[in-house]
Amino acid sequence: MASVNIRNVWKYYGDMPAVKNLNITCPDGSFVSILGPSGCGKSSTMRMIAGLEHISAGDIHFDDLRINDLAPKDRDVAMVFENYALYPHKSVYENIANPLRLRGATDATIRERVNGAAKLLEIAHLLERRPHELSGGQKQRVAIGRAIVREPKLFLFDEPIAHLDAKLRAHMRGEIKHLQRTLGTTMIYVTHDQLEALSMADYIAVMHDGELQQWGTPSEIFNNPVNAWVAGFVGEPAMNFLTCDIVAAGSDVSLRHANFDLPLLSSQITQLNGSSKGGAARMGVRPDALSISMEKPEDRAIRGQIFVNELLGGDMLVDVSLDDCRIRVKTTPDFAGKPGETCYVTVNRSKWHVFDAKDGHAYF
Amino acid sequence: MASRDVVTYETPLTKLIRVLSVVFLALYLVWTLLPFFIMFISSFKDLLAAFKLPAVGDWSDIGVFFDFTPTLKHYRSLFEDNAFGTYTMNSLIAAGGSAVISVIFGSLAAYSLSRVNFRGKSDLFFWIISTRMAPVVAVMVPLYSIFRSLDLVGTLPGLILAYTTFNLPFAIWILKGFFDNVPYAIEEAQMVDGATRFQAFRSILPLVAPGIGAFIVLCILFAWNDFLFAAIIGSGGAKTLPVATRELVQPQNIQWGAIMAAGVITTLPMMALGLVIRKYLVTGLTMGAVKE
Repeated sequence: MASVNIRNVWKYYGDMPAVKNLNITCPDGSFVSILGPSGCGKSSTMRMIAGLEHISAGDIHFDDLRINDLAPKDRDVAMVFENYALYPHKSVYENIANPLRLRGATDATIRERVNGAAKLLEIAHLLERRPHELSGGQKQRVAIGRAIVREPKLFLFDEPIAHLDAKLRAHMRGEIKHLQRTLGTTMIYVTHDQLEALSMADYIAVMHDGELQQWGTPSEIFNNPVNAWVAGFVGEPAMNFLTCDIVAAGSDVSLRHANFDLPLLSSQITQLNGSSKGGAARMGVRPDALSISMEKPEDRAIRGQIFVNELLGGDMLVDVSLDDCRIRVKTTPDFAGKPGETCYVTVNRSKWHVFDAKDGHAYF
Repeated sequence: MASRDVVTYETPLTKLIRVLSVVFLALYLVWTLLPFFIMFISSFKDLLAAFKLPAVGDWSDIGVFFDFTPTLKHYRSLFEDNAFGTYTMNSLIAAGGSAVISVIFGSLAAYSLSRVNFRGKSDLFFWIISTRMAPVVAVMVPLYSIFRSLDLVGTLPGLILAYTTFNLPFAIWILKGFFDNVPYAIEEAQMVDGATRFQAFRSILPLVAPGIGAFIVLCILFAWNDFLFAAIIGSGGAKTLPVATRELVQPQNIQWGAIMAAGVITTLPMMALGLVIRKYLVTGLTMGAVKE
């Protein structure tokens, strides 16, 4: 086990920076997810930690050990690859045994460890098979088995369940989280799926365009995004964004839009820190912080037309057309509105966010 | 597997095509196999029996062809009067040696070309393969003078070097394609597992084994059947089977029986090699390694 310190790390491919001045500290024994869309630099970061890519600038430490110049084999990390990267000509047993063999373990130790890992992952009956005889989920377990058999300092998981079907993915999320808790080994888990990051990690590092956007616990990331990009990337269905004007009238401040004029709560006014009063801003609100009704419930409700209803089993998503834009509302399946009808949307103002119109940073 | 059931539906036309293709294949088989058959059977006949042929078009007399007392005297003369044991050995060493050397350097070079990016890589690759574009005859004279000044003419190392010169580009060309098809992630997994770079390279060799096997066969075939290099570079001390066979044709005496026997000796090892390695060549090892 080890903590991982990434200090001012840059990665260049030619002249193209893929990772820009990254600083992350993963506490010992924690489950850290690096989350971002493809091309955000998350895989490059992981590959620099594994030693598969050179670090262009900056340092990475495992505890107090600087690992920049160590070969992968000397870093004592175990990695699960997105495409599993099993050895096709070796049996499952030999695949899992490989890290131990390379480190010169005795046959007895190998047998004990491989059988232990296979039992933990419920693949003991597959040990004699070759990778091409396995299903996707089984291959993935073998790849994990190869990683855990050795008790490394650090696990690196590179989108390990991205290729599984949805049901198996949901199952494996729980399994991997449980495994990490059981072994207590620090884990860095790269994913583009915000649901995986939110549901599994102790800490999430959100990356975009090679830069760290936000570091925090899943609830911090979800509830207090630092900018509009993080707010829009995390959460499903995605957050609604509306361009508004901030209008100050005496001590009151409100958000004005073609369809509504809603006052900020008093605690939120102080967070606007003066300078931004009177400018353009982006209001962000998640679909579940909105409620919808067919009768006008109060003065502050926003009037719109139902565009389309999507029933998602236990929930219903309603797309509502305002004059020049559209917002998405999450409601219960018994909502009776039909497309084209007039409806009223109420905003839970304690859960909305206001972002700077230019650089997108969050006021609250 | 890439192959699958081909769905066909019978029509009179397809029936006709099928019959015609069977006829064609039968003729083709006769055309291909008959020379080998004649060579094989003639090597066991003495000279008189070998030239007893039925008249053209006289199928009733075909039995003449098989009417002979088998004799091993041609084979005996090859190994006792001529030094065919040595020539066979020379052929084996020249072909095997160049194959082994080419496969070692070829796989290292092909691996580098497949995995490492460096400036001028595509130029280098083209340059390597362009050495095969000139016909051997065109470079034979300069090659001979180089080999002679190095005292390599008429020696086995010289012959091995000559074959390697021509096999190595071919090895790099073939093997690079095979290495390209092996996902790099497999080596990365090896290195994270605790392998050195070289161990990682070695670990994927089983995955390119079909390529290496195919290359070895082609390389050995080229060297084994080669006449030009063997006659010029190898002449004297490193005589191989084709050159020795050619020398059985003397101005006053063409030793037909011995030539047939030498043909059999030259052909059989290559056929055996083909049979042994065939199974190996078709074994696809990379399947299911990586999620596609």
